[in-house]
Amino acid sequence: MITRFLTEVRVKFNPFSPRSKSARLVLTLIPSNARADGMMVESKMLPRDSKEPASLGVKFKDGKEMKLDLDKMRITEVVEEVDRHSRLLARQEELAGN
Amino acid sequence: MPPRIPVQPRALRILKTPSHYQSYASLTAATSTATTPAFPPSQPIRSAPPIRRYPPTQPPSHKPPEVRKSQLHRQYQSLLKSSPLILLFQHNNIKAVEWMGIRRELVSALRKVDAEKLKIDPNAKGLFAEDIRLQIIQTGIFASAMRVVEFFDPREGLGNRIEEEVFTHGLSRRAHEAASNRKAKMELDPLLSGPLAVIAFPTVSPQYLKTVLSILSPSPAFPAPRRKANPDYHDPLVQAGLQKLLLLGARVDGKVFDLEGTRWVGGIDGGIDGLRAQLVHTLEGAGASLANALESASKSLYFTLEGRRLDMEEKEKGPETAAATEEKTE
Repeated sequence: MITRFLTEVRVKFNPFSPRSKSARLVLTLIPSNARADGMMVESKMLPRDSKEPASLGVKFKDGKEMKLDLDKMRITEVVEEVDRHSRLLARQEELAGN
Repeated sequence: MPPRIPVQPRALRILKTPSHYQSYASLTAATSTATTPAFPPSQPIRSAPPIRRYPPTQPPSHKPPEVRKSQLHRQYQSLLKSSPLILLFQHNNIKAVEWMGIRRELVSALRKVDAEKLKIDPNAKGLFAEDIRLQIIQTGIFASAMRVVEFFDPREGLGNRIEEEVFTHGLSRRAHEAASNRKAKMELDPLLSGPLAVIAFPTVSPQYLKTVLSILSPSPAFPAPRRKANPDYHDPLVQAGLQKLLLLGARVDGKVFDLEGTRWVGGIDGGIDGLRAQLVHTLEGAGASLANALESASKSLYFTLEGRRLDMEEKEKGPETAAATEEKTE
């Protein structure tokens, strides 16, 4: 996952739901020095009996916000969705000559 | 020329008892001298016991025992069996130095608990600071070991198969078969994925649990140590590591608790003894009130009758006593 262009990641999940696996895997994809580099990572754990679906909120450097419902997505699909915009930003950055 | 190396393996030579040879020797002697029958009729005819092909301390394992996986499996089984309280954490890309800091803080906090216990009672038992460790686990192997611990009962089905050799250890084929039953589900199954770390406690001790929670997963109920009290804890490396450590749940006495449940267990004052004291207190209260209720009827009857008696006595010798008191006062 391209995490260079993310400024904020909010994950909410119930660890006891088998569908929250992708939510937990998203957290593992964030590099270890991301927080030091200014990314805000917030993970909220739901109680065991809550039926609320796992969700992911991402903010990009250009201000775009993305909300994903992780309950029905596999981790590859989540990465695909997030990377689609990140690649766009990477391309713009490259064209701007930085 | 005969071979220099003895053909018989050592195990075979040990198993052949000298008594065996003796019986043959006596037998030949007997046949040569007299015409007695070869076997005494009282001795039952039985074949020699089968040769054991493994040392008694190493019963055969279903998976190759020399690989790391099998040994980890065994180790996790013993961890699960021996620790009634296990906390499960998810760790997301924590660096080695951060782990080091976290472990250091954990150990120092636990040692403080030990020191406090020793201060109260110099002969205190149950000092667990050295036994409570944060350990990263191989998730798949841990899940498999947990299935063996949950679903494999070594005593099950032993009754009908006494003659055969039955293995009861956790790496045996029987254990594997019991654990690989896909229909049996564990409560903890959804938690066992991704990178995991565990803390195992040798006993359910809320005092230690409280300390561990306040270090690794601070919350308003379990506040982290202040910067003044413990500046090392607020080291950026430690804090960066703690941000990436998520408490998922706990397994207490075979039951599964979520975050809130774990905090509840940590909040029990005085541990199991405290709970017992509370129970005794409630039971005592109930008993006392019951005794009171039963007593009150007879007591009230007694008081009425006694009151009546006094009243009558006063009426009988009312004037005399009144006079007597007057005299006394004068």
